[in-house]
Formats: sequence, structure tokens, C-alpha cells
Amino acid sequence: MAGVSQTDTRLVESETTGTDAVAAVAVGLSTVLFVLAVAALFDRASLTGSLFGVQTVTLLGGLLTALGVTVIAFGVGSRLGYGETNPDPSAGLIAGFGAAVPWVVIGGIVASRTLGLGPGVGVVAGVATGAVAFAATVLPREDLGSTVPLGALLGVTGVVFLTGAIGPTWLWELGWAQQAAITAEFLIPVSTLFTTLYGGWASAKAYGGFGARGRHMGAYVLVYLNALSIVAFLFILVAFVVVQGIPGLLNGTEFGLGTGPTMTVFGVSVALPVSVPFLMNGVALFNDFQGVLPAIVGTVWLVAGAVVLAVPLGVGAALFLTEYAERGRFTQVVEVATNGLWSTPSIVFGLFGFAFLIPRFGNGKSLLSGMITLGFMLLPLVVITSREAMLSVPDEYRDASAALGVSKWQTIRSVVLPAALPGVVTGVILGVGRIAGETAPILLTMAGGTFVPGSQTVDVIGGFQFTASPPFVANPALLEATSALPYQLYALITAGVGASSNVGNADEFRWATALVLLVVVLSFYAIGIATRYYFRRRLRHT
Amino acid sequence: MSENTNPRTETEPQTETTTTGTDQPLTTTAGESVEQTRDEWTEYEFAGEAKMTVEDLNVHYGDDHALKDVSMEIPERSVTALIGPSGCGKSTYLRCLNRMNDRVSSARIDGSVKLDDQEVYQDGVNLVELRKRVGMVFQSPNPFPKSIRENIAYGPKKHGDLDTGLLARLLNRSDAEERDELVERCLRDAALWDEVSDRLDDNALGLSGGQQQRLCIARALSVDPEIILMDEPASALDPIATAKIEDLIDDLSERYTVVIVTHNMQQAARISDQTAVFLTGGELVEYGETDQVFENPRSERVEDYITGKFG
Repeated sequence: MAGVSQTDTRLVESETTGTDAVAAVAVGLSTVLFVLAVAALFDRASLTGSLFGVQTVTLLGGLLTALGVTVIAFGVGSRLGYGETNPDPSAGLIAGFGAAVPWVVIGGIVASRTLGLGPGVGVVAGVATGAVAFAATVLPREDLGSTVPLGALLGVTGVVFLTGAIGPTWLWELGWAQQAAITAEFLIPVSTLFTTLYGGWASAKAYGGFGARGRHMGAYVLVYLNALSIVAFLFILVAFVVVQGIPGLLNGTEFGLGTGPTMTVFGVSVALPVSVPFLMNGVALFNDFQGVLPAIVGTVWLVAGAVVLAVPLGVGAALFLTEYAERGRFTQVVEVATNGLWSTPSIVFGLFGFAFLIPRFGNGKSLLSGMITLGFMLLPLVVITSREAMLSVPDEYRDASAALGVSKWQTIRSVVLPAALPGVVTGVILGVGRIAGETAPILLTMAGGTFVPGSQTVDVIGGFQFTASPPFVANPALLEATSALPYQLYALITAGVGASSNVGNADEFRWATALVLLVVVLSFYAIGIATRYYFRRRLRHT
Repeated sequence: MSENTNPRTETEPQTETTTTGTDQPLTTTAGESVEQTRDEWTEYEFAGEAKMTVEDLNVHYGDDHALKDVSMEIPERSVTALIGPSGCGKSTYLRCLNRMNDRVSSARIDGSVKLDDQEVYQDGVNLVELRKRVGMVFQSPNPFPKSIRENIAYGPKKHGDLDTGLLARLLNRSDAEERDELVERCLRDAALWDEVSDRLDDNALGLSGGQQQRLCIARALSVDPEIILMDEPASALDPIATAKIEDLIDDLSERYTVVIVTHNMQQAARISDQTAVFLTGGELVEYGETDQVFENPRSERVEDYITGKFG
């Protein structure tokens, strides 16, 4: 009696920590595999090379197999009653479908390609394998159902890599007219990534001891990985552009007094102590270093013009729709129209500007036409988001103001608009993010050429002139063709080999342009976010 | 059960007679025999002047008849409580007094509401002036997301009584001193000054619920109203904050006419001079001195409601 109870206690104690450890090892393995797969996908780890003295493919295969075995062992162990788990009767339909999908793919491809049975048999075999995986997930108790099919998936994938059935030089000629092929360099990381996600899911469930807590852990891992990968992709993208763009951007940069150009703003001249030719020059024959100054200035003015045009119109329209118009057919039509306008392709806006605006503004491509076209593009989003923002202002504020005898317009001005401003600014930020990187409308309405001389830098402020005839103010700068960064980048990319004769190292020049475009767009974002922050603060902590 | 159902079934046909005949209350007082079946006791004799006089007020929201032939006089400088179960039309009635129901597009209002013998529901009524004279405090505290000072100065500023704008400051005509005096006076009247005097420039949303509600009362006082309508002002507050609001209402009734809707019968009994009981269907069933209504209600249905048998 005593002996039995003693073994029982010992068993329970050792197994409790043991299960935790096994599950933790599985989660850790999944993480390592995930990182390795991402590294391989972005060529940071060579598939033909080796890692830690083992060939990369073999390493991936070995780890996958190990993970698969661990997951299955955990599930079987739990079913046999070792360890403290708390499984449900079934893993559930969602897990069943989740497990079926990769098995459909594997079964189908193996039958149709590896065994050469043709597409018809492939479909049947795929569905059959998927059905088996589905049944194996749904029918047994949760600890088996959520581990065995996924563990088998990991094991099969791992063994395929381990045995070299799919090695680093493997190639699958799809044999279509497009000459498409799937390479091992693509297949191995991607399949590792996917199976690892499944493995991580299964081991997270196991770590939580299955049941409600296990599902919570599984969902947590998946959601967390999603969020993490979004941040990772953004980081990789920005880092890539920065690394590629920095050499071209800093080409010929000098520091020290007297090196920079002299800037004159409102009659005050300042000699800049730094010279970055890429940002301060245009393209000219006698320049030591070429640059994209006209495009930078063009982009800034373009966005400023579009915002000045669209924001008052959009906010005014939203105000009318939310505060004054009776809800009815008319507001519905306006709503549908704004949504439709927002999803209209930008090239259509560009064409409209080309055919409608250009003949009316000096019959040539001009900054003004570009501003108006982009303003039209920005308008619907400003209307939509401003409307949402105003609708979310609590009616209690309006009631309180009305009960004090304050008129509607004064209420709107002093209560509704301030409360809605952060939302409105959010809309403008999103819209500016879209239009600042727009190429097609600029191509059709505004852009000059591939290489823009510094003399074509627009001077909108200095361009204002008084004239003797109505409307008494003119601004020829607005009617000039100029460049903008997205278009400049497009033109540089499509310029081909001829580009190098103009700008030296054309590749560096392109990447530097892309970097500057990215920085300019992100600065607009930063300005917008700072503005929103300011208005929010004023609303909450005056 | 039978006690509950009998009065109701009895009154069913009477609702229709009430809607057709306009001088029903007279008949009620005249004919003793009728009153058993009518069960409507709205005549109330009071000593002072009537501040507001409501006659045959009917409100429809679309097809819903929310308020049926309500007539009552509200005496000056006193607290009038409106009680009744949910959906009985007491809030609707309150919002008719300063025409806040105009803001509900589906509402249709017939009848007469007089403020100092001037008809409120007629063409050419200046809503700004009306709402300045008849202020309102809402169920949930709704201060603006502005500083405490700005919350109070908001109304007078918008009415042009105070000018502290940039232009006024540049021309040395700023009313900043008057504004600060007004802010202090209103906050003192609302018994909030001692708690917030050192942080007038903080955002009002940072105050506690009870403080926010007193701020809303102070804000209502800022435009110098004659009547203050309160729509369950303490229903979202804890007992201590509620007690403060009740004390405040008591103080206010010395200078203002207060009309308060409440769910809480004890509250109505504590603070009001006269009580009007609305029952389901939008009828005013009994109106009279508070002590009499609570201790010796004339209507059976009101007695049931007050003793908790119904509603």
C-alpha cells in the first residue's frame, strides 16, 4: 500500500515537471526552426552551406523530425495517462480543417507527381489524405487529435529533407509554357515555415495541457507570431532600402563651414555647414554629384497642395452629412459615391487629370494639375474618416451645448470639431500616405523628365506675382512641369542602361531615390501622428 | 394580483375619454362618482406663483404615444419631482419644457407649455433665450472635454456675454476677470469650489463622476437660468455623491425652480416639495404635495406603485 502510494507520488512529481519540460522543448524547437526558416527565406542562411557543422537542409530536416517526434510523443504520453493534462474529448472542427489542409496538398502532390498518377488521381488522393488527417484530428481525444496528425506532418517533411529526397539543388520543372519552376531554395524555407507554425501551435497547446488553457496558449502563439512577423517584415523592408540607399545618398557628402549651399528663406540667407549633393542638386552636366532636389521639393508641394485642397472640402462635406443632412436617400448616395471614389484606381484619376485639367491649366503638365488630381484622390478618404470621427462624438456633448442655448453652428465649432479632430487627422495621415507615393497620376499630369535639372525646382512661394489683369495674382511656378519622387523613381528604373551615363552609378542613384521617397512619406506620417497626438492631448489633459 | 389588475382594467376605457374630452380634470373634481373609475388626481393647490403651466401636452414618437394629455402647473422656487416606472414619459415630459425634444426628428408635440404666461410652443420663440432661462442637467454627467474653467465659461462666451478671445485680449478688452468671478460663483453655488479651486485649468474629464455632475450643474447655472431641469441627475452616482447633489438641490430651490426626474422614490420624498407620478402609458396619474402623495396617495395605482406592488 505504502509502496504504491509512494510510486504514485514520485510518478506524478517527476512527470509533471517532465511534461512541462518536454512541451517547452517543443516550443523552443519551433522558435528555432521558425527563425532558421525566415533566415533561409531571405538568403541569410545558405541552403547549400552548413550551419553549426551540419548541412543546412539536413539540420532543418533533423530539427523538424525531432519536433514531430516530440509532439507525437507528448500526445501519446498524455493519452496513456502520463503527465497532468486536461484534454477535451475532441480537438474540434477548426483544428481538423487546419490539419487537413497541408495533408491535402501533400497527398495530392505525392500521388500526381511523385507517383505519376496524373491530376485526377491526385485530387482524389489529396482529398482522401486530408479526410484521414481530419478524422485523425477530430475523432480521438484532444491530446492525440491535436498532436499526431501535425506531428506526422512535421516528421514526413523532416524525413524528406533529412534523406535528401528534396536536397538543396532540387528543382521541380512545372513544365508550363511560362517555364515556371519551384526551387528548393523557395520550397524548403516556406514548407519549414508552415510546418513549424503547425508544430508551434501543437506544442503550445501541449504546453497549456490541452483543453481551454491549451487552446488559449495555441491561439496566443499564432496571434503573437502574426504580429511579430508584421513588424519583422516592415523592419526587413526598411532595413533593406536603407542599406541599399545609403551609399548613393551620401555620395559626395561634405561637412564643415562653407561646404554647403546658401539658402535664402524670406530674405534671410544661411550658409549650410553640410553638403549632401544628392539632396541639394538636380541633374546637370557639370555637377560633380547628381541629385533629386527638384523631385523632393515637387513631392512636398504636391502633397501640401493636395491637403490644402482636400481637407477643407472633405471636412465641410462630412460636417454637412453628419450634422445637417437628414439621414435618407441623399446621404446614402453620397456615402456610396465617396466609397466608390476611394476605391477608384489611381490611373483613372490620372487620366481624368490628363484629359480634363491639363487643357484648362496652360495645356501642359503642371504642378497645379498634379495637386488637384491628388486632391481629388485624397478627398473621399477625408470625407469617410471625418464622418466617422464626427459620428463618434457623443451626442451628450451636443445635448449639453444645446441645453445651454448655444446655436448649432457654435456647438459644431467649439465642441464637435475639436472632439473630432484627432479622427480627422488620422484620415488625412492615411490619405497622405497613399497619395504621396502615387506614381500613375503624376506621370500623366505633372512629371517633366527622367533627369530633372536643378533649375526646374519649383519655387511656389517666390512664384507669386501681381499682375495688371484679373485675377491680379499669378503663379507661373504652379503651371510648370516638375518631378516628384515616385515618378522619378519609376523613370529611373525604366531608363535602362542609358541612366548610368547621366548619374554615374545608376543603381546607387535609384536606391537612394527610393530611400528618400520612403523617408519623405514616413516624415508626412510622423507630422500627422504628432498633430493627432497634440489634439488628443489637448482634448484629454488640458 | 387582483389588486394590481383591477385599477388597470378600469382605467383602460378612461384613457380614451381623457383624450377626447379636454375638460376632464374639471369633471373629476366636480363629480365624486366619476373619480373612482377615472383614477387621475392632478389638481394641486399651491400658495405661490406658477412658473410653468402645461396644458394638454401630447407627445408622439412616430406611432408611439409617449405622453397623454398632461396638464400641470409648476410652482416657482420649489422642487418638483417627477417619478414613475421606466418608459412612463417623465423624461419626455421634462425635455418638452425647454423644447429639447425638438432635436428628436420623430417627435411630434401638441399642447401648450407656458413659461411665465408666455407660450413656449409657438412660432418665433427664441430657443436660445428659452434654454438660457430653462437650463438642463442630464442623467450621465456630460462635461465637455475642456478645462473646468472653460466648461463653465462656455455658455456665456457663446452668448457673447464674455469675451476672452485673442482679439479682445489684444484690444485690452478681455473679460478674464468677469469670467473668473463667474466661474467661482457658479462653482460655489454648485458646492464644488473647495474641491477644484486649485485646478481650474485641468480637464473636466479627470474629475470623479459626482464632481462631474456638480460641474454640469455649475455649467447650467452659468447662463443664469430661472428653471433647472434635472433628468435623474444622481442615478449614475454613489450614495455620497448623491447626498451632495441632494443637498445642492435643496440649496438651489431657494433661488431657482427645480424640476427633477428620479427613479428613486426615497430621493423624491427627501428633496421635493411636490411630486408628480407618471405611470406606464405616459399618463400623469397623481400630482400633489410630496408628503400627501407618498403618505396618502389618492390614486390606487399610485399607492400600488409607491408601496412596490406595481412598476
